[in-house]
Amino acid sequence: MNVQEYISSGIVESYVLGLASEEERKEFEQYCQQYPEVMKARTDFELVLEKQAMQNIIVPDPSLKSRIWNQIGVTGKVLPMVEPVPVRKMSWIKYVAAASVILLIVSLYWNISLFNKNQELKNNYDLASEKIKEMEHDKQVLQQNPHVKMASLKGMEASPQSFATVYWDTASHDVYLLANNLPVPPTDKQYQLWALLDGQPIDLGMLDYYVKQKKLLVRMKNAQKAQAFAITLEKKDRSDVSKPQGDMYVMGNL
Amino acid sequence: MNLNTTYSEQELVDLLQHRNEKAFTYLYDNYSGALLGIVNAIVTDKETANDVLQNVFINIWRRIESYDPSKGRLFTWMLNIARNAAIDEVRSKGYNNSQKNVPFPESNEIAGAVTGTDITDVGLKKILGNLKGELRVLVDMSYFQGFTHEEISKALNLPLGTVKTRIRTALIQLRTMIQ
Repeated sequence: MNVQEYISSGIVESYVLGLASEEERKEFEQYCQQYPEVMKARTDFELVLEKQAMQNIIVPDPSLKSRIWNQIGVTGKVLPMVEPVPVRKMSWIKYVAAASVILLIVSLYWNISLFNKNQELKNNYDLASEKIKEMEHDKQVLQQNPHVKMASLKGMEASPQSFATVYWDTASHDVYLLANNLPVPPTDKQYQLWALLDGQPIDLGMLDYYVKQKKLLVRMKNAQKAQAFAITLEKKDRSDVSKPQGDMYVMGNL
Repeated sequence: MNLNTTYSEQELVDLLQHRNEKAFTYLYDNYSGALLGIVNAIVTDKETANDVLQNVFINIWRRIESYDPSKGRLFTWMLNIARNAAIDEVRSKGYNNSQKNVPFPESNEIAGAVTGTDITDVGLKKILGNLKGELRVLVDMSYFQGFTHEEISKALNLPLGTVKTRIRTALIQLRTMIQ
């Protein structure tokens, strides 16, 4: 038998993941005893899988542990027992012991909450990177379209660090806004995108604050003609939305 | 929470096989999250996933004597118990109402069901999303839904040998993605 060929046939992964047939299992277990390379390949993959699983944990319901312990009838005492000590002579030990138990409990609690927090952050991070991936994809599609023009909108006096990008399809007139960096608006205000033509603003729609969007890339109203684009921050209950009244945050030419 | 004790794998197995409660606590504290990760990839409902995990640990405690270190690491053994328990749950009657169920769907339905990327997927299931169409369907059906190669062969109208080689190809690709 060619051991290397056998190892790289996918049998190792298939066995470890529990997808091998009964016959394949028996054969694999026999080869593991016979060839140290096969055994090593198995352990290597097991460790890869274990590491992967340990990086993708989901914290169980906190009540689950006691439910399990009740069912299997173990006491589940995690904290070390504090032995009763003769009180008169060594009463200080009691306080030390009590204090250390309290410390231990506090530290356990601290650990658990940090752990949960960490998990939450990680989940948020995963979600965010997924969104970014999606956005990158949309961006790529847009960038590959020969009709699409791009305008980088740079921060104005009101918010110099702001930055946004507009993709305008000159064939279909579709407008997409990528809010790269816009500050969180006050709750009574919202951003509005404008196309500028001969100095005149044309309303291209309001931007629901972008973190609420599943995609960071937002489709706006179509623009027939434009020389530049700009975003202003406007009051939400404004009666006439066809003219900008608030501060201009970003602007850029095509 | 593991404060200061760590066990080597062999120590842990010895202690567990002697019904050492502290070792079992250690096992739960260190591995429950990872096992719930795999259960949750199969049983998407969180509450049900926790119930499944409860049975998984009870099974680990009761069946620890049958664990044979020569056949694989302890974690692999637990992972397979967790995966099987989750698949059983999905296939059991109680889970039929709204979720994927026992009767085999048409092959085009299966392909459709797994092509959309669900952004809440984590872990292996998420990596699965990087596999190309058919390979992804094959791994999803065999690993996450627990169909045998024979069942898949019938459902997708592919020769059994093809199903087997393609699943292996997919697993090799998955492995490189994990690493």
